[in-house]
Amino acid sequence: MTQILKHLVLLIGGFVVLAPFAVMLSYSLKSPSEIETGTGGLFGAQAPMLDTMCMARSQPDRAAMDAARAASPGQTDDAIMAQLEQGREAACTTRPAVFNYTKAFTEAPLLRYLLNGLIVTVSIFVIQVIVALPAAYALTKLRFWGRDAAFALVLFCLLIPVNAVALPLYLGLAKLGLTNSYAALVIPWTISAFGIFLMRQFFQSVPDDLVDAARMDGMGEFAIVWRVMLPTAIPALIAFAIFSITAHWNDYFWPRIVITGDRDLFTPPLGLREFQAGADGSLYGPMMATATIIVIPLIAAFLLAQRRFIEGIALSGMK
Amino acid sequence: MATVTLRGIQKSFKDAEILRGIDLDIAEGEFVSLVGPSGCGKSTLLRIIAGLEGATAGEVLLDGVSVSGMRAADRNLSMVFQSYALYPHLTVAENIAVPLRMRRLNRWQRLPLVGGFMGGAAARSIAADVQRAAEMLEIGPLLDRRPGEMSGGQRQRVALARALVRDPAAFLLDEPLSNLDAKLRAHTRTEITELHRKLGATFIYVTHDQVEAMTMSDRIAVMMGGEILQCDTPAQIYADPCDLRVAEFVGSPRINVIPAEADKDGRISIPGCPLPLRHTGRATLRLALRPEALFLTESSAKLRGKVAHVENMGHEFVVQIAVPELPDCLVLRTSAQAVVGDAVGIGFDPGRALIFDAMGGRCRNVTAQVFA
Repeated sequence: MTQILKHLVLLIGGFVVLAPFAVMLSYSLKSPSEIETGTGGLFGAQAPMLDTMCMARSQPDRAAMDAARAASPGQTDDAIMAQLEQGREAACTTRPAVFNYTKAFTEAPLLRYLLNGLIVTVSIFVIQVIVALPAAYALTKLRFWGRDAAFALVLFCLLIPVNAVALPLYLGLAKLGLTNSYAALVIPWTISAFGIFLMRQFFQSVPDDLVDAARMDGMGEFAIVWRVMLPTAIPALIAFAIFSITAHWNDYFWPRIVITGDRDLFTPPLGLREFQAGADGSLYGPMMATATIIVIPLIAAFLLAQRRFIEGIALSGMK
Repeated sequence: MATVTLRGIQKSFKDAEILRGIDLDIAEGEFVSLVGPSGCGKSTLLRIIAGLEGATAGEVLLDGVSVSGMRAADRNLSMVFQSYALYPHLTVAENIAVPLRMRRLNRWQRLPLVGGFMGGAAARSIAADVQRAAEMLEIGPLLDRRPGEMSGGQRQRVALARALVRDPAAFLLDEPLSNLDAKLRAHTRTEITELHRKLGATFIYVTHDQVEAMTMSDRIAVMMGGEILQCDTPAQIYADPCDLRVAEFVGSPRINVIPAEADKDGRISIPGCPLPLRHTGRATLRLALRPEALFLTESSAKLRGKVAHVENMGHEFVVQIAVPELPDCLVLRTSAQAVVGDAVGIGFDPGRALIFDAMGGRCRNVTAQVFA
């Protein structure tokens, strides 16, 4: 009975978490009219639809008319007009799903945004590891004056919300002339208190003997960090990677602040704004298609990491 | 191979004094055990020799040269840890190769992937040495496994192989057998002794198990309370301990301690029985007798008691006898069957008794005296 209750609670939780994703996926497949009227079920009817913007763009001009007249002499202008109109409609009619996903790539340089996201998240993660591993190692395995105080400071840093320091950070970067650059997107996140904390907790489970053995084998302290601690910490690093990469891939707040003009530096969440309501109303379908495309790499990375995560745990045979 | 010399090593953590002035000379190729109960400072001493820990005072000399302030990595010592401390992410072969890679390859050759193309001759010599070490410890078939896939005994061998793959000045072993089961421990004991004989290297072996120390060492240093009480050959330590704590620590079953008195003429007696031994004057003494120095007898019994417990060891019996005059049971070895509850007499040769003063120091001024 309690088993059923547990499953029920979990099911409700799962539904709450997944519902927005379902809506996103569903909207990314539907035509604008289906979205507005709330019809079409989960996948939409996929009835051919007319792309109004395409129609507007391909309004036949005088040159086209002249060319058509020359191609088929002896016909009235109305007939030629109707013919052209027919061709135009055929060219601008697509399935809603195709429409949404092609729009996602053509309306905004989505590939560029994805590349930016990749550059930024990977740079942040790599530098975070380069900083956090030696710091965590020093905080667990080295004895020095003030170690506990240093760790207390790290814990304190965990309590500071990003938004509180956003303004000073922005001003600092602006003074350095770094706004509108990759550096502005990366630098503020390179020292992760959470990363240091997480790695320290993990390193505490690494036996001191292992470190001593490495010293006896002739390794210096940095060699120990990269050759002994890093490989043993892979499971913890993957957990940290999941946190770090999702947080910065999805971050809208900070890129919105430091990337003000240059569209070439937009990260994927900034790219979503391109579909925000304009004069011709919001393009919900393409917007949701973009959102889906942005989310897919994260989900794929997570599934891959999850597999490695379990392998990593199985590998660690310390004792 | 090198001599290891300790001069006045002291170590304290905050207020606690762990080591109080250790002096020890270890000859080239000698097998010395540091033995003592847990908390006596033996592991700390080994770590100071290794350079993993700094001494508060005193110095360590390798081949007569002080290595104070030198990093563990530069002292050229090998260490085997109680937990084996193998790198869990490396295979056995890679584990054994680590000390060689760190010494023979330069920074660029050690880089993952790229380094493989630059090693050349050095990499080949490392592979050959790893093979040699693996053969010596008969772990050739395990070279591709990871530590997680091996038993304790196999990991133990890998740890030994990693220690001996390079020629260190000395081997430091920190309770390497304590994680093994009893049978394997006895077997590995012999193997380590053989290894020592084959390599002829200096071994410093830390253990809390006096049996290991007795069976393997050239010399045993018995440590207690941060001091070396006695450092001698196993035979000497067993037969001629200079401190009651040493006598009690070494030997199994434990040595029997009987309270004794010397009267004003120096005549020594134990409760209920005068002994033909003479001390210099009045004193409170303690008489220590190894279990094999006692025998069951009816005619020349010096003490009488009841059999409290019998352990059949197969080739002999270890008998505990409760003597009313004594606070503790006496333990003796005998080949004759004894029955629990029997009243028995216990005899011994007073010449085999070890006499200690009230402080536990050995009394060397006891002479045999024939009763007039």
